[in-house]
Amino acid sequence: MNIDESRATTVWLGLLALTLGSAWLGEGVFPPGLTAAVVALIVGVKGSLVIRHYMGLTEPGSRLRLAMRLYFVVVPALILVSAALGG
Amino acid sequence: MDLAANVAPVGAPAVPGNRGIWVGILCEMSEFALMFLAWAWFRHGHPEDFRAGPAMLNAGAGVANTAVMLTSGYFAVRALLAIRRDDAIAARNWLVAALLGGLTFLLIKALEFRWNIEHGVVGTGNSFVAMYYYLTFNHLVHVVWGCLGLIWAILRAQFGAYGAADHEGLEAAVLYWHATDLAWIVIFPLLYVLH
Repeated sequence: MNIDESRATTVWLGLLALTLGSAWLGEGVFPPGLTAAVVALIVGVKGSLVIRHYMGLTEPGSRLRLAMRLYFVVVPALILVSAALGG
Repeated sequence: MDLAANVAPVGAPAVPGNRGIWVGILCEMSEFALMFLAWAWFRHGHPEDFRAGPAMLNAGAGVANTAVMLTSGYFAVRALLAIRRDDAIAARNWLVAALLGGLTFLLIKALEFRWNIEHGVVGTGNSFVAMYYYLTFNHLVHVVWGCLGLIWAILRAQFGAYGAADHEGLEAAVLYWHATDLAWIVIFPLLYVLH
């Protein structure tokens, strides 16, 4: 396994671990606001990992990379706003 | 990891795959963004439905499908890395593994829908359940498109169409698959985690 394959494997295992972490949060171990904050963070991190390491959007200054990364800032923010509004 | 293939016109920045697939991906992401806004809107309007909603669902199916999607995406990455080193047979095999992941996702989703019906989780009279079916059916359609793209790439790989120097179509199919994965990364917590 070369370095790119090893990195892809590490990212995959990280994504699985974050998924299990999200599922655990769904058990209601934290108050809803804190759960929403951690879930939003996990969504942002998972999205960024896929965009960078799976989709290969690594070029600095790329508008496509910026748009995709921005997506995974805006959507977690939507989760936070929704939680803050008491939904 | 630099997965970007240089297929852009002269003078334009390189994008992974090709520009056409990115138009499709950005359309898909925009479509899902509207659905996420609808989720937030209905959650604000019907907080009781959404507070009780995740407990109505089969969380095990949601977790399993998330793991399957992420694993299938990993197999797709391995296909791309294999063709980059000109190993077309390995690339085809990884693509088949990715496709099997997609089909497993569809199977789990079908079993989940059957479980829902048996437990009265039907899309009438509850905003959360209606949103659940709205999001998951739309995503399911995109998974089917992604599977068809993978099948096309498998057939092309089988007949020797791809190599280290030219694998734009394979990369495009893989990128679309990852976009479908990205949508599920958001859908999973919205439906199964956030109370």
